[in-house]
Amino acid sequence: MQKAYKLMSVMAMSALLVTTMAACAGNNGKNNEGSGNGTNGGTEATAKPDAEKPGLKRLNVWQNDDYNAYPVAKLLEEKTGYKVQYDMLPQDKWAEKLNLIMSSGEAYDIVTSYSDMALYSDYAQKGALVDLTPLIEEFGPNIKAAIKPESMEALKVNGKLYAIPTTVTYEINSSILIRTDWLDKLGLSMPTTTDELTNVLKQFKEQDPGGNGDRNVPLTIKGDQSMIDNLVGAFGIANTWNDVDGKLVSRVMDPAYKDYVAYVGSLYEQGLIDREFVANKDATAKEKFASGVAGAIVVHWADIPAISDSLTKTKPEAKFAFIPALKGPNGEAGFAANAGFDRLTYVPKASNNPEEAIKWINASLETETFKNMAIGVEGTHYNVVDGAYEPIQPIFTDERNLANNYMAGTDEENYPQYWQARVRKNPVMFEAFSFLNNETAAEAKIKNVLGLAPYMQQYSKTNQQLGTMVGDYTVKLIAGAESIEGLADFQSKFMSSGGEAVSKEINDWYATTK
Amino acid sequence: MYRRTAKDFALDGLIYVVLVMMGLITLLPFVNVFSKSISEEWAILAGQVGIFPVGFQLDTMKFVVTNSQFLNSLWISVLITVIGTLASLLITALTAYPLSKRELPGMGIVIVLFIFTMMFNGGIIPNYLLIRELGLINNLGSLIYPALISVFNLLVIKSYFESLPTSLEESAKLEGANNFTILFRIILPLSGPVLATIGLFYAVQFWNDYFHPMLYINSSSLKPLQLYLQDIVMNADTSSALDKSADDLMNVPAEGVRSATVIASTIPILLVYPFLQKYFIKGVLIGSVKG
Repeated sequence: MQKAYKLMSVMAMSALLVTTMAACAGNNGKNNEGSGNGTNGGTEATAKPDAEKPGLKRLNVWQNDDYNAYPVAKLLEEKTGYKVQYDMLPQDKWAEKLNLIMSSGEAYDIVTSYSDMALYSDYAQKGALVDLTPLIEEFGPNIKAAIKPESMEALKVNGKLYAIPTTVTYEINSSILIRTDWLDKLGLSMPTTTDELTNVLKQFKEQDPGGNGDRNVPLTIKGDQSMIDNLVGAFGIANTWNDVDGKLVSRVMDPAYKDYVAYVGSLYEQGLIDREFVANKDATAKEKFASGVAGAIVVHWADIPAISDSLTKTKPEAKFAFIPALKGPNGEAGFAANAGFDRLTYVPKASNNPEEAIKWINASLETETFKNMAIGVEGTHYNVVDGAYEPIQPIFTDERNLANNYMAGTDEENYPQYWQARVRKNPVMFEAFSFLNNETAAEAKIKNVLGLAPYMQQYSKTNQQLGTMVGDYTVKLIAGAESIEGLADFQSKFMSSGGEAVSKEINDWYATTK
Repeated sequence: MYRRTAKDFALDGLIYVVLVMMGLITLLPFVNVFSKSISEEWAILAGQVGIFPVGFQLDTMKFVVTNSQFLNSLWISVLITVIGTLASLLITALTAYPLSKRELPGMGIVIVLFIFTMMFNGGIIPNYLLIRELGLINNLGSLIYPALISVFNLLVIKSYFESLPTSLEESAKLEGANNFTILFRIILPLSGPVLATIGLFYAVQFWNDYFHPMLYINSSSLKPLQLYLQDIVMNADTSSALDKSADDLMNVPAEGVRSATVIASTIPILLVYPFLQKYFIKGVLIGSVKG
């Protein structure tokens, strides 16, 4: 019942979007007099129409704090001279809500959402966004200086730029986190190859260094984590689409896929991977590791502070570290490396002041203002130690923790450095982060070439669906519910469910990049 | 007099056991959330918190109830519930009264029209467009006006009015009272039980409304509690790294904070229930016997 209702509302909203977007496209430009103003007479009153710097309305992603009251809002008001009123999208189903707002023509001047290329290009093509190219040319010298040309290029839809990106600031997300005190106890060293990993897990199982008895789990993963970070790299399928002889090939079509499944499947069969992994939720897997029952877990480095706090309380002797890139049977190794965007910021057609919006973004990207927004003032919020930015606590967390939500574009040259101050808030987390990102050799960071690819219709639309399909199938293979003999059947199903179209589309593009 | 046999006792015992178990099934998850809200975060993450809290502390609770957004949302919810309930009662009673006068010409048709809206309505899109064109987006009115009359409640009040003796009104008319005086001085004071019941129905409906604010409210300062709660609680389930950056992962509210928010936002309506529960039961019976 609930589900049906949700589904209905989603369908209804998208239908609404289509109808009203069409209307927007129809009377391009100044449609503010019509539907736009009717909906928000209230905002008109608060925005001073003839003042030199009008109030701006910005819609942003969810955060667990009042945007308007957070210190960064005040800082930006001081530095830019604009009074901005912030609203936020819900945490859950933000895209549906955004569709609703965009189609209702609410007069937001700046909208920042998660980077959803399908959504963005949809808005752009339906004429719901303002073309930023001329505005940046005229009012955005700081924007031009801050954002790299290739980032801008990747966001162009039909040759026009409609959004300013916030680029991802680090490359590697996760690896296998292992209990090093277990290793020490058994006299084992950190595994460097997949074979060594198998051995370590076997020892964990047989010798039970944690003294967990029947509950002992060598490696725990979540139910939807059939592609285990680090291990996929060892088999040369680090990313969803990987270069095989100059062509991008989906994991499931990759010749190495069989080997990967055989390896992970054998781990499962020997009881080295959590027997119950299929039913594990994120919290279940973490619970097993945090309570000392599991010897290893696959996690994002950002999850480490919570796990570390909990583990040191339950098992004070516990120590852990990330496993470095493991070498596979063919000598391959590596991690999937992020590329692309985290957030997109755009100006809807319904905006009353597109020029002022760009001026505001430009002002926020002024070098010093941006630095202040990102990490604060030296001596107050951070210190420079050995060329790195060390946060001063608790003021850094209190006043800058949510700063990234206020950014509309970043100083792409410097921001990754500033940003690491956020990771340094927790030394344990920073160590793990640094191990993966700063100490991993460049050749083991296998870049996702599609991260900076331009908008591709089929890919944006079906890639996620295909990913889920492959993920589910892989879980079944690992758990032994499906046999590898059926792979050919699944591959043809994959191709006919959109895999073929996506493959053609991205390879047509990929060919042009070389 | 009938003497209870051993068999009766056994049966009663069985019934008690089953009922207690059913009660526990519904109660224990709530107790678990409550325990989490007053436990240390590490214990929650390690899965040690069951029925009893581990590492008792009240900081999380304090953090939640002093959060300005939480307080603001609570205030909005109270506002909507109080104003909405009072206004709904007034409007529903005003509509039900003439409809209870069967002798008036055309009333049958009007009632059919009302009942028609009970079975068929425009659906989400037309409703959204209507609210938008009325300029009610981002306005608390959008949560109150469309919910002023629920036809079901209207019919319950109407049949209650019909059950009142007509001679009361006739004698009042003889004394020179007009229709308004009759309604407000005679009929409504006699309708205490039905108004309390229907008032409770409306209050619960306004308090629990999540869907309409989700559609119509964008501004965070106008978000009612249910919407705030949804944001906090959903956080955990969506914490996959897929569309989240590390910054979001680092700022995910802790499980303890989520539990405390759930508890803190349940308590206000929980406090109202024991006092109004008897009306709930009465309400089910009202209108069930036509006399």
